[in-house]
Amino acid sequence: MVKKPVKFGKLIRRTIFYLFVTSLAVVILLPVYFLVSLSFLSTREAYAFPLPIAPALKIKYSMTHGERGYLLSVYDSFDGEYQTVLDTNELEKISEYMRYQLGAPMSIPEIEEQISVLESGTDPVEFSSRKNLWLNYSTFFKITRNALPALLRSLQIAAMTIIISIIIGGMAGYAFARYTFAGRDALKFSILFVRMFPGVAIALPMVIILANIGFYDRPIGLSLVYSIGSIALTIWITASIFLGIPVTLEEAAVVFGATKFQAFLRVTLPLALPGLAAAAMYTFLGAWNETVSAIILTQFNPTFSVVVYQSLLGSVGQVNLAAAGGLVMAFPSVVFTFFIRRYINQMWGGMTI
Amino acid sequence: MAVATRAKSSRKFWTKVTPYLLILPVVVYYAVFWLRPVFSTIVGSFRDASGAFTFENYLMVFTDPDFIPALRNTAILVVFSVTLEFLLALFLALLINRKFTGSAVFLFLAMIPMALPSVAVGAMWLTGLTSHGWINSLLYYLGVEQKIYWLAGSEWSLLALIIVIDAWTVIPSVMIILLAGLQNIPKEVEEAGYVFGGDYLTVLRKIIIPILNPTIQTAVILRLISAIQIWLVIVLLVGFSRLPVLVERIVYYHEEMSGLNISFQMASGYTIIVTAIVSIAALFYLRLSGAFGKSKEVR
Repeated sequence: MVKKPVKFGKLIRRTIFYLFVTSLAVVILLPVYFLVSLSFLSTREAYAFPLPIAPALKIKYSMTHGERGYLLSVYDSFDGEYQTVLDTNELEKISEYMRYQLGAPMSIPEIEEQISVLESGTDPVEFSSRKNLWLNYSTFFKITRNALPALLRSLQIAAMTIIISIIIGGMAGYAFARYTFAGRDALKFSILFVRMFPGVAIALPMVIILANIGFYDRPIGLSLVYSIGSIALTIWITASIFLGIPVTLEEAAVVFGATKFQAFLRVTLPLALPGLAAAAMYTFLGAWNETVSAIILTQFNPTFSVVVYQSLLGSVGQVNLAAAGGLVMAFPSVVFTFFIRRYINQMWGGMTI
Repeated sequence: MAVATRAKSSRKFWTKVTPYLLILPVVVYYAVFWLRPVFSTIVGSFRDASGAFTFENYLMVFTDPDFIPALRNTAILVVFSVTLEFLLALFLALLINRKFTGSAVFLFLAMIPMALPSVAVGAMWLTGLTSHGWINSLLYYLGVEQKIYWLAGSEWSLLALIIVIDAWTVIPSVMIILLAGLQNIPKEVEEAGYVFGGDYLTVLRKIIIPILNPTIQTAVILRLISAIQIWLVIVLLVGFSRLPVLVERIVYYHEEMSGLNISFQMASGYTIIVTAIVSIAALFYLRLSGAFGKSKEVR
């Protein structure tokens, strides 16, 4: 293999280009990185200034005799020295401090073991314990007592919204792709208009309508509201998918004796499945991320986004827990966006049916 | 023979009816869950408690001491963030415009800020902008030891902050869209511009921008519509009423002030104002995208 000689100037230009792209990526990811890092910080770390660049994976302790009992010190990697945090003879207190402030739980027998080493003459005794990185996540769900039900509720709402939009939107999408009919343009126009209509405009009058039919503060009520926007979106996505599947395939199936409905079920639908999945994921994103209608249309049964919103609004106290909640919120969105990135970009180019 | 004709005419009948059956659910759904609530809000906004016609509700909103600031702040946010975002995104897209190793990864990374739920974006910047947050920590590591109190500033500096946050959220995505548009422009077209003696700026102004124009226009209006509805990040960062914007007022009256007997009217009033502004923007969008015209023939 003969390597082509790379010109020097070209090399420099390419380096500058990659530096530029990398620094852009850094700017994009920096806040995300810090939110992730914060969600893994112990309470003690989260309230230190400056915040550690990365969460500690291991906590190093040093213990000696203190005035009131045992003097516990924790190694601070920023200062590079041990800092005294506790002076007590109650082992429960030490164990609790390790769990809640440092995120590196040690049981009382384990602490007793270290104390016996201390008593046998190694003064101070140094030991370490592994940090439980996921502690903030479990604590968030434990402390915010309605978080888990709200998470399940949000999933339920998203699922119902997907079912409603795929059935109603998919049918209309098929009609748009396959038929010319009177009123087509008017309908197309109103669908595009509804798509851009602010969700908050529907939420307020819906309070009364949903209360009248007994759906206020219930998942079905919210999914009915979310479906308004996502039906429009589903029509757009499914219409473009059905347009891409040649009608001749269906006609061929009919020639071989299938009814039109069978032809659709056996031939077109399987081909359309990937696109329908994209529409479903898009719907999920809309329902999962939405906050304003959820705040207005729920009272005792909030969605997960409302719970995280409230925990952020009220908790200047527990930033690391709020970060964990925010990340639980963000995770599905990023994953689904990865799957439907192609459609998202098309959306922006303008919606046409 | 007669049977055959009837079968034929019945098939014709069904072909005619099928599309209507398929779109019937959407029409019914929108009539019940969209048209009716919108209609009832509009009608309700012109009625007083006894049901008589009145302009009172609107007067109440217009005389709300936070109305003018809310309108002003929303307008500033929309104008500045959308302009800034598009200029910067276009600049970045022009700089990056080429195929490169790792571009797929980069393009996905750039989609992340937009994909994040606004609650997560709020969490990110709230934890960053507090006095002991990650931004001050980062500055400390870089040698700036003085803490900056980001959230303690004037209304103007808060507005600037929100614009920057929105820029972070939106620019990467807009950049991708413009990039996609740029890469669809045939090379020959650009080269022709240079052959006829144009310099880079001329080619940009006379060839590239006009070709990109439809993409830019639609994206600008979609951005405009969502910029009008920014509120959550503001409330998470500085709470209610410190930097009032239109949608924030709706939530404020509905949630925070729900005890007052005027709160529902106030919230509805602000809702209608937001709706009217967004609808106008949406109609502009639809005009540009050609939705007013006849649709293309279906195969």
